[in-house]
Amino acid sequence: MTVDETQADKIVDGRFLEPPEPFLLTMEALDTIRPGETVLLRLCREPLPLYRALQLNGYAWETSCLDDGTFEILIRHRAE
Amino acid sequence: MQALLSYDQSPPIAAPFRFFLTAPVFGILAGLLVMHAGPNAFMSRWTPEALALTHLITVGFMLQVMLGALIQILPVVAGANIVRPSLIAGVVHCAITVGALLLAAAFLTFAPWMFVGSSLLLFSGGAVFLGASGWAMRGVPATGPTISGLKTAISGLAVTVALGVAMAFGMSGWFDLPLMQLADIHLGWGLLVWGIGLLAAVAYVVVPMFQITPAYPEWFVRRFVPSLLVVASAWTIAVFGGWDVPLLVAALALIGMFGLFAGVTLFLQRRSKRASFDTNQHCWRGAMLSLLSGGGVWLAARSVPEIGEWPGLPILCGVLVMYGGFVSVITGMLYKIVPFLTWLHLQNFGQGVLMAPNMKKIIAERTMHRQMLSHFFAGILLVLAVFWPETMAMPAGAAVVVSQAWLAMNLCSAVRVFRRHSRLIAEKRANT
Repeated sequence: MTVDETQADKIVDGRFLEPPEPFLLTMEALDTIRPGETVLLRLCREPLPLYRALQLNGYAWETSCLDDGTFEILIRHRAE
Repeated sequence: MQALLSYDQSPPIAAPFRFFLTAPVFGILAGLLVMHAGPNAFMSRWTPEALALTHLITVGFMLQVMLGALIQILPVVAGANIVRPSLIAGVVHCAITVGALLLAAAFLTFAPWMFVGSSLLLFSGGAVFLGASGWAMRGVPATGPTISGLKTAISGLAVTVALGVAMAFGMSGWFDLPLMQLADIHLGWGLLVWGIGLLAAVAYVVVPMFQITPAYPEWFVRRFVPSLLVVASAWTIAVFGGWDVPLLVAALALIGMFGLFAGVTLFLQRRSKRASFDTNQHCWRGAMLSLLSGGGVWLAARSVPEIGEWPGLPILCGVLVMYGGFVSVITGMLYKIVPFLTWLHLQNFGQGVLMAPNMKKIIAERTMHRQMLSHFFAGILLVLAVFWPETMAMPAGAAVVVSQAWLAMNLCSAVRVFRRHSRLIAEKRANT
């Protein structure tokens, strides 16, 4: 199921970027959001290491996989 | 956001690096052996020198990097954490390093105790790795093609090691075995299921990720690695049976799998969104073309009897597939993995005190590119040495020594960056 772009306050499209750019851009985006806001990350692969980093640092996320293989990860502060 | 970079699932940097830094040493030893052996290295695949060379490359270089890379990527790609990775890496590295040296020495001397010693060491190293990785992956469902591909490749390693150990005991005189047949089966499982299987499973992730290409096609991802098992099994039965037609069909299928992987990868590379290729992409392209050439040479040999009878043919195929194919692609991968891990660990270690250096500057692109050219030059000289061993063996061996020493220097430069930057971080922390 595609995440509605309007739900996201920031969008990071990492599909055509080489590591570690998507990771760094996601971190930068998370730095700027306030509680209640979200970051949407799009990638061509499931970012397992990112999940651990998010878990350790107080974020919650929802992952969905589109038919074309794109992974969409919607991230927000955990305490919401 | 430095504090977020808590990649606690990534093993300590020394765990994979000990494998990566040892591999070029075996490359140098292989070059020195070519120089020392001269034409004997190119006479037949069964000469002591050719057997020693093959295993310096396959066990000393290829297996080292493949195991080091697996220890690193199992947690990252599959979420499978190896328990006590430093200890496991240390034991496995020590066993396969000494085992590979002893195996090469065993082929050169045919001393029975060396075959037994190398078998025990390689079996121990393989068993510890297989046990640790199997335990780590026990709860990981084979949901994606990479995870199921890794499992298949690791099973291919188990068969390859088991056959290799059996043959080594056979050569030490413990029991009689059909060594020629077992060698062909060992080669098939080692290069096809373990080698190409691992390469494909990793390629599904790293080729689109690092080369900015479309994903591998769905039909290929679903069927390729499982088909390797089928082909290797058919190859095994045909070799044991000794039937001409099934053997030819199985061999064609085996070559076809190499060609298919190379062809699909080259097709994807042509659709890369990069403006220009970097060293990693050039290495992959050179490797895939070399794999295709190896398959092409073999097909030509089957079609033209005069070529098929030439004793240099298996050596030429070996040079093209192992040195031109696997060593090239591994070199390209090292040039991505080593800077990335250096950056990752420095970023973690820094914790906001000091930013990690730009990943692209950890090993300069120009230096990597020049080393790659020296590697391909060495590969061309090795091919020429198959045709003119008397005159070309010495320069080919020297070129391999130079290119592998250069690779070692480039990888060590990343280690120096890591150490220098770690010291700076420690000093900054001490002052705050």
